[in-house]
Amino acid sequence: MPASESQTATYRSINSNPCSMCMPMGGILPFKGIEDAMVIIHGSQGCSTYMRRHIAEHFNEPIDVGSSSLNEKGTIYGGAQNLFHALDNIRKVYQPRLIGILTSCLAETIGDDVEGIARDYLKQRRPEGVSLVAVPTPGYGGAHSEGYWMAVKSMVSHLALPTKNHGGVNIIAPNLSPADIREIKRILSLVDLRYTLLPDISDTLDRPIARTYTKIPPGGTSIEAIRRMPGATATIQFGLTVEEKLSPGCYLQSEFGVPLYNLPIPMGIEATDMFVSLLMELSGSSSVPQTLAMERGRLLDCMVDAHKYSAQGSAAVFGEPELVLAVTRTCAENGLYPAVLATGSKSNELEQLLSPIIAECPQKVHFLEETDFVRIRKACRESGANIAIGHSDGKYLTEKEGLPLVRLGFPIHDRVGGQRLLSTGYAGTTIFLDRVVNTILEKRHNDYRAAMYRKFYRKIREETALHGEVR
Amino acid sequence: MNVSEKVLEDILNKYPTKVKRNRKKHILIRDPDQDRQEIEANTRSIPGVVTNRGCAFAGCKGVVLGPLKDIVNIVHGPVGCGYYSWLTRRNKARTDQPNKNFLAYCVSTDMQESDIVFGGEKKLARLIDEVVEILKPNAITISATCPVGLIGDDIQAVARAARTKHDLNITAYSCEGYKGVSQSAGHHIANNGLMEKIVGEGEMEEPPGKYTINILGEYNIGGDGWELERVLTDIGYHIQAVMTGNGSYEKLKNAHVAQLNLVQCHRSINYIADMLQVKYGTPWLKVNFIGIRSTVESLRNIAKYFGDESLTARTEKVIERELAEIEPQLEPYRKICSGKTAFCFVGGSRGHHYQGLYEELGVTTVLAGYEFAHRDDYEGRRVLPHLKPDADSKNIPELHITPDENRYRLKISPQRLQALKQEIPLNYYKGMIEDMNEGTIIVDDLNHYETEEFIKALKPDIFSSSIKDKYITQKMGIPSKQLHNYDYSGPYAGFRGAVNFARDVAMCFATPTLNYITPPWKGKPLLEGAVGPRSSDPGIKEE
Repeated sequence: MPASESQTATYRSINSNPCSMCMPMGGILPFKGIEDAMVIIHGSQGCSTYMRRHIAEHFNEPIDVGSSSLNEKGTIYGGAQNLFHALDNIRKVYQPRLIGILTSCLAETIGDDVEGIARDYLKQRRPEGVSLVAVPTPGYGGAHSEGYWMAVKSMVSHLALPTKNHGGVNIIAPNLSPADIREIKRILSLVDLRYTLLPDISDTLDRPIARTYTKIPPGGTSIEAIRRMPGATATIQFGLTVEEKLSPGCYLQSEFGVPLYNLPIPMGIEATDMFVSLLMELSGSSSVPQTLAMERGRLLDCMVDAHKYSAQGSAAVFGEPELVLAVTRTCAENGLYPAVLATGSKSNELEQLLSPIIAECPQKVHFLEETDFVRIRKACRESGANIAIGHSDGKYLTEKEGLPLVRLGFPIHDRVGGQRLLSTGYAGTTIFLDRVVNTILEKRHNDYRAAMYRKFYRKIREETALHGEVR
Repeated sequence: MNVSEKVLEDILNKYPTKVKRNRKKHILIRDPDQDRQEIEANTRSIPGVVTNRGCAFAGCKGVVLGPLKDIVNIVHGPVGCGYYSWLTRRNKARTDQPNKNFLAYCVSTDMQESDIVFGGEKKLARLIDEVVEILKPNAITISATCPVGLIGDDIQAVARAARTKHDLNITAYSCEGYKGVSQSAGHHIANNGLMEKIVGEGEMEEPPGKYTINILGEYNIGGDGWELERVLTDIGYHIQAVMTGNGSYEKLKNAHVAQLNLVQCHRSINYIADMLQVKYGTPWLKVNFIGIRSTVESLRNIAKYFGDESLTARTEKVIERELAEIEPQLEPYRKICSGKTAFCFVGGSRGHHYQGLYEELGVTTVLAGYEFAHRDDYEGRRVLPHLKPDADSKNIPELHITPDENRYRLKISPQRLQALKQEIPLNYYKGMIEDMNEGTIIVDDLNHYETEEFIKALKPDIFSSSIKDKYITQKMGIPSKQLHNYDYSGPYAGFRGAVNFARDVAMCFATPTLNYITPPWKGKPLLEGAVGPRSSDPGIKEE
């Protein structure tokens, strides 16, 4: 790669201020987008408590996650008994129709065969109308992003049944905000197409205050719809960075022959165009809905208005690989080029996918994977980045390097409204670009006097001082 | 059957029989006529009930070690646990040594699959070298996550070798998440490590001030500790070490010189308080700086211990001044809060401490409990001789401490100690139950289901717990006041803290937001078209 500098975690042993979380954390999220589903972490109870805490803080929603509460005894004799109890109790109190079982470092290290335990459970208890989906998510197996995809893939591989073609379309979404998912659903509703969106967190993780609190929030992808996914005409998956073995779309293609269209997240003009064009093609319609055409026009108008300021930005983009790709593409479309591109995950695809943009960049781009914030901070300093785009942990770049942060992605833990951040579709991109450009403008206005002082006044003073010395 | 009993039966009946039997032992209805009411605590949580409890790692690294500012706390394990314990308790610190505040750092060995297979000791040793080289901390701790113990990494040996190599205080804590039944196990493990390897490392032999104290179990959440220090320093105390909010290795290593240890959070730190008593002869005093009355009482008790007239006079003067400052500020909030009811379910001390402050605002606590406390935190330390160690508590080593040959000092005469014990809680904690009113409910290890059911049944006006359960009650239209990290507010301790708390609680009641839950069209004939008056009740009560 010509203008990029690649460096991985193997350089150092230290991970200081991580840019990622662990696999089961990511695994919880898609289960929260399934109708009548609960999820259990098979491990010590700290795992589920810590993760509930962090997810609740992002979405400002109750996040129920069970635990098999393994203790020392379980580590010696295996955790099957605890997991059985946990499943019994969860069923009694929550009456779920699907229970996801995620493993933890502990369960994996002691070698519990969770699939086997789940099978035994179903055989012994014969619970009516309850499906179990076991997902291997050891904390050391990857970052939360991999856990997310692993969970979605496992749902599909556990639930999908051979189905006659029903003419619908599968939409598989990465870790986006409920508002993003709602926007994708709105776009879909404008086209004459039946679809199954997996996972659908739009209502479950952004739940209105309403009478009669229910333990499992209403909404989410229905289990029946997941079973019928193999009968779809096509799968649209927003997952270019997803490895084949974690890809639900690839699975549906290879097992059931459902054609896969792997697209970038519909964010920015090009990626949304791709999505909308594909919808047109699949629905056999010749004209784009007027609403979308108008929104596209407004986005372009926004981009034309914004480009003068965007070009002054030099961005540090970090987070989950799929989002880094989408944000970088969107910014570059408006002339805002990246200086630092970073992810805490290990992604074989990301650098390759970013290379056309990196090649076009007027400046050297630091590309970091499996990275931490100490390294991102260093790269920001070296590259002269002036705006950061990513999740809340980027606040350290603001505190230490003075980079303003546009919050996007997961987790947002120091602001409210992580669940409402909208950036997909033409309309969402417009909102996103406005946020980015206004951040650049705000910084510029705030810094104006200081910058002018540095540029002119201090220079004069220094020159005077210098002359003084010479004399 | 009174109301509480009926409520309780209904809630428990939903459980499977065995679970019902278990949970029943963890719930009490307060009956002051009984001399002793027993409650089961510090036993395993039931799998699948969605407990609020964490793990030993959370208690050790997250709670006790985490706030020490000049120490780099290394997490040996996969990246998640380090991330999740990264400043999440809002323990604040101010540094007096430039470049020696490491609170904002989350340092992890980020173990990968190959480390699990081949062992992570070498990686850990390399990481320590890097930390010493890059960050130059005053000390280093290493906390283990689940897989470390299972794969047999000997972190104690790595720490010993590194200690010699770098001539630096480097300690390891085998606080794997599966140990014990909650974070409580981790507190104990951390207490042991601090006592064995850090306290007493310093050179100091004599107390540096006339009235030298340590504050134990104060974590400076939202700046609580600073508010206490302001008042205590003003009275004339020299605070040697705080365990561990805004604490440091530099202070902690000389904690042995204090003449008195104050214990704020009994659960997390009583082990070290006891051990300091045995080893250095320093008595401990149970204090409670949450609430005005208890703050005043605590200050008077400390003065009583030192028994110095001028100190007592100064204490009274400061109390008078502080009360004069805050009383007028509290008045408007009291008017808003008066007559309300609260749930108060927090960790291992605050579930008790905050009841007094609520009462002073006119708010009655109708249900209280602890997440991970032991029976002595409920029933008082008099129950200690009756507690039998079980398989889980036996896994946490008890240190055998003996009086230090050179540094043991009798701080006060045994006779005076006995006499004082009649007056003030020296080396004693009376527990939560005694302070609770008849008919109130006490729940140990409250879970998600019970939270919801108790709220439906008792309809409190405010719910005080953690971020994990606050959104349940808010969705139900009941305000919550988080008492783990204070919803990013604070400090709530001491005199000025009480005003902050009153303001925040009053704000929950006074906000107009909840009045809008019922839409104007509900229950109104739509065709009339008139906009009816808004209901002033939060939604839940109208069902």
